[in-house]
Amino acid sequence: MDLNIILLILGGLANVFIVLLVAPFFQGLLRVITARVIQSRQGPPIWQSYYDTFKLLGKEDIESGEAPVMQRFATYLSLASILTVGCLVPMGFRSPMNGAGDAILLIYLLTLSGICMLLAGLAAGSTYSLVGISREMMTMLTLEPLFAITIVIAALNTQSFRLDTVLNGAVYQSAGFPVSGIIMLGVMLLAFQAFVARVPFDISEAETEIMEGPLIEYSGPKLAIFKYAQMAKLIVFSGLFIGLFVPWGSDLVFPFGWILFWVKVFILVIMVTVLAATHARYRIDQAIRYFAALLAVGIVALILASNGF
Amino acid sequence: MDARARLNQLKEKFGSSILRADFPNDRRLYVYVEPQALKAVCRYVFRDLDARYVISVGADDRPYSGTFMVYHDFAFDKDKILSSIIVQLPADNPKVDSISDIIPGANWAEREIRDMFGIEPVGHPYPKRLILPDGWPDGLHPLRKDMDWNHVPKDFDEDREFSFGETPPGCTVVPFGPFHPTLDEPAHFRLYVEGEMVRGCEYRGFMVHRGIEKLSETVLSYNDVPMMAERICGICGCVHSVAYVQAVENAAAIKAPPRAEYIRSIMLEIERLHSHLLWVGLACHLVGFDTLFMQSWRIREPIMWMAEKITGNRKTYALCLVGGVRWDITLELRTELRLLLDKLESEWKPVVAAVVKDKNIQKRTSDVGVADKQFCKEMGLVGPVARAAGVDIDCRRDHPYAAYDRVEFDVITHDTSDVWGRVVVRAKEVFESIRIIRQCLDKMEPGPLMLDITEELPVGRQGLSSVEAPRGESHHFAITGENNKPRRWRVRAPTYQNLQGVPGMIKDQMIADMTISLGSIDPCFSCTDRMETIDIKSGVTKVWSQDELFRLVRAKNQG
Repeated sequence: MDLNIILLILGGLANVFIVLLVAPFFQGLLRVITARVIQSRQGPPIWQSYYDTFKLLGKEDIESGEAPVMQRFATYLSLASILTVGCLVPMGFRSPMNGAGDAILLIYLLTLSGICMLLAGLAAGSTYSLVGISREMMTMLTLEPLFAITIVIAALNTQSFRLDTVLNGAVYQSAGFPVSGIIMLGVMLLAFQAFVARVPFDISEAETEIMEGPLIEYSGPKLAIFKYAQMAKLIVFSGLFIGLFVPWGSDLVFPFGWILFWVKVFILVIMVTVLAATHARYRIDQAIRYFAALLAVGIVALILASNGF
Repeated sequence: MDARARLNQLKEKFGSSILRADFPNDRRLYVYVEPQALKAVCRYVFRDLDARYVISVGADDRPYSGTFMVYHDFAFDKDKILSSIIVQLPADNPKVDSISDIIPGANWAEREIRDMFGIEPVGHPYPKRLILPDGWPDGLHPLRKDMDWNHVPKDFDEDREFSFGETPPGCTVVPFGPFHPTLDEPAHFRLYVEGEMVRGCEYRGFMVHRGIEKLSETVLSYNDVPMMAERICGICGCVHSVAYVQAVENAAAIKAPPRAEYIRSIMLEIERLHSHLLWVGLACHLVGFDTLFMQSWRIREPIMWMAEKITGNRKTYALCLVGGVRWDITLELRTELRLLLDKLESEWKPVVAAVVKDKNIQKRTSDVGVADKQFCKEMGLVGPVARAAGVDIDCRRDHPYAAYDRVEFDVITHDTSDVWGRVVVRAKEVFESIRIIRQCLDKMEPGPLMLDITEELPVGRQGLSSVEAPRGESHHFAITGENNKPRRWRVRAPTYQNLQGVPGMIKDQMIADMTISLGSIDPCFSCTDRMETIDIKSGVTKVWSQDELFRLVRAKNQG
């Protein structure tokens, strides 16, 4: 086989490996900061998310939902789709598999990872999971378009869907002053918490209200994979956000660009943590109204971008 | 108006239907009426005299008077009177007119009388089982004097199920309970849901009923009962033990010494502090705001330590006996308590300020779980739930007991009738409790803690006592009896009434608001369920059999 292709694949896998390695660490960071700084308590050790994952992987897998085969499929697909996105996202260096896909593929993969949650809830078939996925569906319908708008603005500006242009601050490369880019920066900052599904936007899995929602019939290894997928989402979405909106400095020579990237991820995780710890969960209708407002602003930005701003 | 004046009002209207009346003091009134006139009298008292419905109690008086008795308790809060409208029913055919169509809040009480005594409430809109498990055989009524406390019925039917009503068209059934992460105790709310909106709700509870009232009549004595009474509830134990001893003291016309009364007040307020702080944290947790949950409980912890220093236990104080209290508050404890209150006040002020200003919490709690003034009156809702609707009731001021007539405090009300109002009321009541404890500590004089009771208590006397628990009015009724034990003891916890209001509060609201609406009444199921048939525990589990549970969980659209 062509050496280039092998290197390409290995490079992509390196990204995946980094995401897998690092995702529980950032989750642990989130938990420790929430506990010690904000909630005046001891909290878990920073490696706790690793321990939890190993513990869950070792448990008995009780298949109690309506359609166990579909449940398995949904589980594996959820982690797989996020990790595939991870292959394409630049993590401090240009992703080796950049040429393997474009921005449209990115949108599809992200939608796919959302759909996995829907599949999971449907396959489980319990009343609570059905309520949970109806909330997830409503959230996805109003939230995914924001991401699509960003991509379209980037494409309008640079006439290209290629990942190494789109994920390199293309939103700011409009002919006139990049008003649309700045607007979308604000909008995506406000929507970031919802993309990574943390309080106040973890509505579909509100455990005090609908008992974990879609994940209600998942235990042991399957639950571990879902939790892993959620942790990985935080990293991958941070990477996407950085690539789209704050890419400056990532073309510094290795290792500086690489370190700068992880510093930016750290800052985003802190932002998510603080927001999560200082807010109550929104109700689905309140959240939808919030997203709809953001969507309206996003459409204004799209119109501006198509007119050169 | 005092008790005599109220009696005269009734006599004017009903004349010969009033058979007899007792008013042992200005604040208690017991009126015996003819069974045919009962409904008219209750309607008059509830609507025209604007009394508050408290509870209905049944009693098996056949060994003494050959009759069954039914008591309908009402409170004239402005006059500080607790009263009872009483009927005596023939032993062979105990039937009584149901008052639930006039007073919807009497729904459960009448069903309980039916389950426990076999007294049929004629005309009851919902004559289903309340307390007894579904498999319990018909015709066997536990609180009758001829049934032993440890009797195990042979023909318990495991497969008999509770007959829920029809699902309204277009609705899915979403079962809430018996197991749910939000509920600490088992209860079943059968929600009829259309999309995300709740259209109706049926409640089936009493899964951990423990037989306390039967035990108090049979195997326990006067001074054993307070120790059991405080185990009725996992948070408000002191309230029940104080209310019980006060009911017996009221019946026997004895008064605890002043220092004991101050100590009772102090411990009751300490209990209110820890309960409200717990609740505010819990409410925040229910809406997903864990930070405030953690902080509230951190601020609450020193109160638990203080209670342990005074009584030896964080929650179950073993405080009361008939005629006094068992623990004293020494000078060192008084100093520590004062310091604790200062620190608590200074830490709680910023929390209240943060909560009151927080738009996030307000959004989740405004216009949620609405129970307005009219609804509160019809259902007999009490406590912060009623006060948040602007109903100005508080037993500490309306029916003063212990040392509350000697201290000054404000009754906090709010006017929004929703969960937000209840949050504000509870958060502010913390400051009033601190104020009361400080005044008690200042005014307490040295003296005896226990009354020296040298004679047997008089037999066959009735006593009523209403104590303001953190959740509302806790009302106890006692009839003194022979052999150093009560003849009858009825506990009406505030949650007993407030739970009946929940279906109305959650109707036409979203499912997401179900937990916070339920949580806003601060439900204490262990106060509400008071009898469990211990030997049939495995049977009870089987009633909610695997089939039933699976069907509930996997219920698809049944419209």
